[in-house]
Amino acid sequence: MHGFRVFLGKEIREILRTWRIWVLPGIMIFIGLTSPVLAKLTPQLVSSLTASEEAGIIIQIPDPVTRDAYLQFSKNSMQMALIAVIIAVAGMIAAEKRSGTAVLVLTKPVSRTGMVVAKVLSNWALVVAATAAGAALCVAVTVIVFDSTLIAEFGIATLLWLLLACMFVAFMALFSTAIGSQGGAAGAGIGLYLAISILSAWGPGRDYTPAGLLSAGDRILAGQDPALLWPVLTALAVTVAAVACAAWVFERQEL
Amino acid sequence: MTTSVTTTPAATTPAAIEIAGLTKVYGSTRALDGVSLTVPHGSVYGFLGPNGAGKTTTLRILTGLARPTQGTATVFGNDVVRASTAVRADLGFLPDVPGYYAWMNATEFLRFTGRLFGLGGRVLDERVDALLDLAGLTGVATKVGDYSRGMKQRLGVAQALINAPKLLMLDEPTSALDPMGRKDVLDMITALKGNTTVFFSTHILSDVERVCDTVAILHKGRVVREAAMSELKHSGAATRVEVDVVDRPEQVADAFRARPWATECVRTGQTIVCTLADLDAARREIPRIVADAGASLARMTELEPTLEDVFVELVGGER
Repeated sequence: MHGFRVFLGKEIREILRTWRIWVLPGIMIFIGLTSPVLAKLTPQLVSSLTASEEAGIIIQIPDPVTRDAYLQFSKNSMQMALIAVIIAVAGMIAAEKRSGTAVLVLTKPVSRTGMVVAKVLSNWALVVAATAAGAALCVAVTVIVFDSTLIAEFGIATLLWLLLACMFVAFMALFSTAIGSQGGAAGAGIGLYLAISILSAWGPGRDYTPAGLLSAGDRILAGQDPALLWPVLTALAVTVAAVACAAWVFERQEL
Repeated sequence: MTTSVTTTPAATTPAAIEIAGLTKVYGSTRALDGVSLTVPHGSVYGFLGPNGAGKTTTLRILTGLARPTQGTATVFGNDVVRASTAVRADLGFLPDVPGYYAWMNATEFLRFTGRLFGLGGRVLDERVDALLDLAGLTGVATKVGDYSRGMKQRLGVAQALINAPKLLMLDEPTSALDPMGRKDVLDMITALKGNTTVFFSTHILSDVERVCDTVAILHKGRVVREAAMSELKHSGAATRVEVDVVDRPEQVADAFRARPWATECVRTGQTIVCTLADLDAARREIPRIVADAGASLARMTELEPTLEDVFVELVGGER
């Protein structure tokens, strides 16, 4: 993979010096900071609303616990952050083609596969770093707000979210390469997200496909023991396959 | 018994570019239709043609950005499809509209492109400094995204030279530049003469006349003429002669028009310009015709065909 390391270095510098360093880390930090606070305040907010508007109706809301803070983080990550990942990385190859930088780079002794892999790895690094920052803040705020932790369960749930996010990054590399437009790739990514959401509502889909990762974290945090083997293995397999397909498509494309 | 050993340069040094029967089809459109040409090592080769003739398609195939439908292309003997990486290692390329990472400055961009060629250390430092100087961008800390078109084009030429390429390919390098920007880029190309083979596409005839020693004219995906610049100007278009007479210019012009060596004569005031079918006959007869008409010959000048004349003759009025 000629030029891979140089291009990877460029990608990392680009993340650090452009809007990309602010968007995903900003969202994850926001989720990390607000999830425990929201979990703590939600019962009070609901109580105050029902007391003022629905007089006579009594809604019993259990007191919030540490688990609720992490569940809030998990739900926000699976929805808001995953959509942000899809949109933020949609242009990873398409933007290079549209701006003409791909032509300037690929007329040098640089491997197209190396370019795709560097793009994917740098975005994985961004997702991992942003998630680590958000999760660390979430734990810190949870300790302050709830005075206890469930680190092991939260750690596993976060790793499962990371695997799903990395799988989406891999698919976005494929969509961005094959579709060639940032908007089109983002649309395909959101379509994939919806398809996986629907699949996760079907028992076998949840147990034997990557769709199981959508709810696995929540179920672990809720004290359940979801089947992880097949969702994890299939997610790893399709992630590798998506990157390989992206490289294969890019190698055959004319610029 | 004596043994003589002869060496043939062509056998040991392959042409910089050798294209044979190159065809590129997009759907029902033949962008290239059997293009064949040879770019000699060390030449400054003008690849001339109207817009849409297939110049950029040819460059895209040579640089590995596109694949030919038929035919072959080699760069220094390496097939551009099978040995694409080896070809690109010897190549410097400036696309018609170069794209840059807007967040980099010129130094960062040149260092990045240099590293893609495996350069590093002092070699890269020295080369970046020299090329920034050549491009007039030394000390410019502005991000490339804020550059003018001229600055971007000069940086484009600089990045194309970062690997000290054996072959420099430029796609319409001056088409969007102002006169000063054009002069800068053409001066940079002229400075490379003798050291680097330059293959540059353009539709600006004066640029080709100024810097190229060999030319191919491409029209509708076909090479309609390939020759050394001097040969091209003396072979294709007809020679013209410009005659200034003191009296009776219309009568003289009519007499010229009646002669078989004159294919067309146009009079403007006292000046008559004739396009010639036979230069020698015109040289012999013009003074006598002027004298017979009772006029005086003030000046007679043979006009060498310009590249524009040749181009128009080969490409015609078609666009």
